[in-house]
Amino acid sequence: MTADPAARQRRPSWIEQRTRMGPVINAAMHVRVPMSAKTMYFGGIAMFLFVIQAVTGTLLSLYYKPTPEAAYKSVQLITSDVNFGWLIRSIHHWAANLMILFVVLHLARVFMQAAYKYPRELTWVVGALLFMVTLGFGFTGYLLPWDQRAYWATVVGTEIAGSVPFVGETLLLMLRGGADVTGETMGRFFGIHVLVLPLSLAGLLGLHMILVHQLGLANPKRPEPRVPTKEFEEEPLRPFFPHYIVDELVAWYVLLAVLVVLVSVFPAGLEEQANPLQTPAHIKPEWYYLGVYELLKLVPRIIGILTPIVGIGLLVMWPFLDRRPEVRMRRRKLAVGGFSLIGIALVALTVWGYVS
Amino acid sequence: MSPDPSLKQTPEMTTKTRSSKRMTRTARIAATLGLTVFAWLGIALTASAEDPSASASAAPSAEVTPAPSLAPTPSHPVIPTPGPSDDGWLFATSEPSFGPPAATAPPLPSMPVHTAANGANSCYDCHSAVNDKQATIAAQWKDSAHGKGGIGCADCHGGDPTSDQITKAMDPAAGFSKAPDRQGTVGLCGSCHANPTEMKASGLPTDQYAKYWTSVHGQRLVSAGDTRVAICSDCHGVHDIKKVSDPSAKTFALNIPKLCAGCHADAQRMAPYGIPTDQFDVYSKSVHGVALLENKDVRAPSCVGCHGSHDAQPPTSTTVVEVCGKCHTATQDLYGQSRHSELSAAAPKCWTCHGTHDVSQPSSAMFFHDTPPNYTCDTCHDLTTHKLRLELSRFAKAEDRRCDTCHHPDSEIYAQIQGIATAITGAETAYADADAAIERAAGFGMLTDDADVALVGAKTSLIQAQAAIHTTKLKTVAELSADARQKAGDAQALAQSKIDESVFRREAMVIVIGLILACVVFLYMLKRKLDKELD
Repeated sequence: MTADPAARQRRPSWIEQRTRMGPVINAAMHVRVPMSAKTMYFGGIAMFLFVIQAVTGTLLSLYYKPTPEAAYKSVQLITSDVNFGWLIRSIHHWAANLMILFVVLHLARVFMQAAYKYPRELTWVVGALLFMVTLGFGFTGYLLPWDQRAYWATVVGTEIAGSVPFVGETLLLMLRGGADVTGETMGRFFGIHVLVLPLSLAGLLGLHMILVHQLGLANPKRPEPRVPTKEFEEEPLRPFFPHYIVDELVAWYVLLAVLVVLVSVFPAGLEEQANPLQTPAHIKPEWYYLGVYELLKLVPRIIGILTPIVGIGLLVMWPFLDRRPEVRMRRRKLAVGGFSLIGIALVALTVWGYVS
Repeated sequence: MSPDPSLKQTPEMTTKTRSSKRMTRTARIAATLGLTVFAWLGIALTASAEDPSASASAAPSAEVTPAPSLAPTPSHPVIPTPGPSDDGWLFATSEPSFGPPAATAPPLPSMPVHTAANGANSCYDCHSAVNDKQATIAAQWKDSAHGKGGIGCADCHGGDPTSDQITKAMDPAAGFSKAPDRQGTVGLCGSCHANPTEMKASGLPTDQYAKYWTSVHGQRLVSAGDTRVAICSDCHGVHDIKKVSDPSAKTFALNIPKLCAGCHADAQRMAPYGIPTDQFDVYSKSVHGVALLENKDVRAPSCVGCHGSHDAQPPTSTTVVEVCGKCHTATQDLYGQSRHSELSAAAPKCWTCHGTHDVSQPSSAMFFHDTPPNYTCDTCHDLTTHKLRLELSRFAKAEDRRCDTCHHPDSEIYAQIQGIATAITGAETAYADADAAIERAAGFGMLTDDADVALVGAKTSLIQAQAAIHTTKLKTVAELSADARQKAGDAQALAQSKIDESVFRREAMVIVIGLILACVVFLYMLKRKLDKELD
């Protein structure tokens, strides 16, 4: 052991000596965060929820049996007999709902702050893809308990997909693995839910984070110049670590508290086992599809089908359609107003779907 | 009460007068021989006899005392009915104004003569263009079971359906006849529908004609010439006859109560018969009526379920157990094991406790009055013969259909009933408690499948115990009730464990939230420190 403290301080750690990851980690810990940036932590919470989903989903898969004959009983077993099974399942259930909610909130925040504009267009596109993958998680995971609600919501959901012009029939057969919702459907939904979507989401999320890291957070008060200006270079920044990370941690803890209350007071339930011969009186999809479902009932079918497809197309391509550099909300009345109206309409349709 | 073997075509019986004379003669012979069943067949005017609250006719004879008639005072002269018979029914005591009951049904007429249609139906072609009324009739026929089944106008009216000339098509020489009278209508329908050869293709039964003449309707028509009674076309329609399976048919299961009520709820029409007209209203509120009319459960009995359709007649005191037992088979078996069933005519029957048209959901309230009724010797005994008797008027009101209507509080049987009541109410309370506990557990968001399964077992035992009341055996009821209580207790214990689990989770939640709050406070302090350093 050397007696020179300075020499000891300069000496790399045991891990660093064997990984030499120090520069990479140091680089990762430096993200450009303008003092005026306001993320509201929605994106970070969504990512935190994804990690929760990955962990709880893995634990659930230890007991879950993806066949129509065994799925329901295995979910019963997890909920009633497996130690803390109810907790894991309830967390997975509520975190899934919260994840969709926070992805939507994150998307709305980015839109309102025009954070999708130069140079973050691709970050937006990847984010929109992440949103769709998240919805895919909800759609495929919903069937897995194989209770009445799961089964019939999937029947309705796949029928909507089957109404898509030109490719609807093929899409329906692909989704269901046949004409009806059967064990074939469950097999492919399970495969998509635990393999295809997690890998897709992990890949897209990684890309999203790299882009965020490289581009930094957007300033909601002024657009980013295409050629760095003095003002941009001298913009006051907030250290990503530990300052911003501590803020995120507080948000995650608060979210965790909400999650704990939800799973304790409203644990995940289970209806009667799926019965393809007994159609329930009122079939409704989950809340995140309810708005679109109600729209389908209110307008001609073709319009109801095409509206969300066109909407998703617009969503993905929006940064390339709105190319004005302006980022302030009050100067973007058309975009902000239109987006708000669509949001209000979707919320109204969702509420209407619940009460009707 | 089966149709007389002489139910065949006999030309000498084609006129009502001759038929009536012959029937009168036959009935007198029957009465002389004491064949009281024929006396019953002749009455046709029983006051809703299965309903003890309705009229005197509900009381079994000999040992059964008639209740005072509760029917409204008729504004029309009441058609007198024959005197008491021995089959369990009482009738009005005044002399009948019509002939004695028929011994035989009218002969089955021949099918109408007509020229072979060979697919032609000039009747339809012309009548659909004559005027609106005829066009409506033609359209009704075309949409009817007959119209769709190839039964043409000439099959009922005769004539020549191949000719487009009115004088030829409607020529009496070609067999044409207008609509027959009401008795003739029954014969006209029967000429085909009682013919096995004709009915072979449709697969319909051929006994309706014979059954009809055994019904109260048929007997009044044939014996009293009462043309106000229901005939085939009143229920099935005339030109618009539809299959019974057709939901738009008047004879479809769900529509039958209203069909019968069309006449039987008509106070003016029923006035001459002195029978009540509230059966439909009462039935509509009964368990049977609610099941059929509100829940659209076609398995529930309508009027014909108990009274029969073509052979409609009120169940007698001796047959009511069999009538109810057609559906309630297990209960009928249990009743057969009881002391009640051994009491012959004085035996309490299904209706004694459950009512008739007003059958309601049974409950523990059916054991005892809040205040025991007044008892006198003749409450239960005929003062002359000292035999047990059943005074049906005591059961007229639903709130009086109680065990202690007959059984005195000081009697040994009363103590047994108390034992049965205690056992049943104990099991019911245990079941209700378990059900409430499960509901509470489900309200906490807990899965209650195992408790639900246990509760189903308790429900099964409870139903068995409740049904076993019909055996009147305390030991049987007590054993089944104990079983129900135990199973309900198991279900409640399972539910309670889930409630406890939920409470534990909420308590744990408070601790976890406390820990999270501590972490948040720590991080917030750290954040403030970092922000200060940044400033």
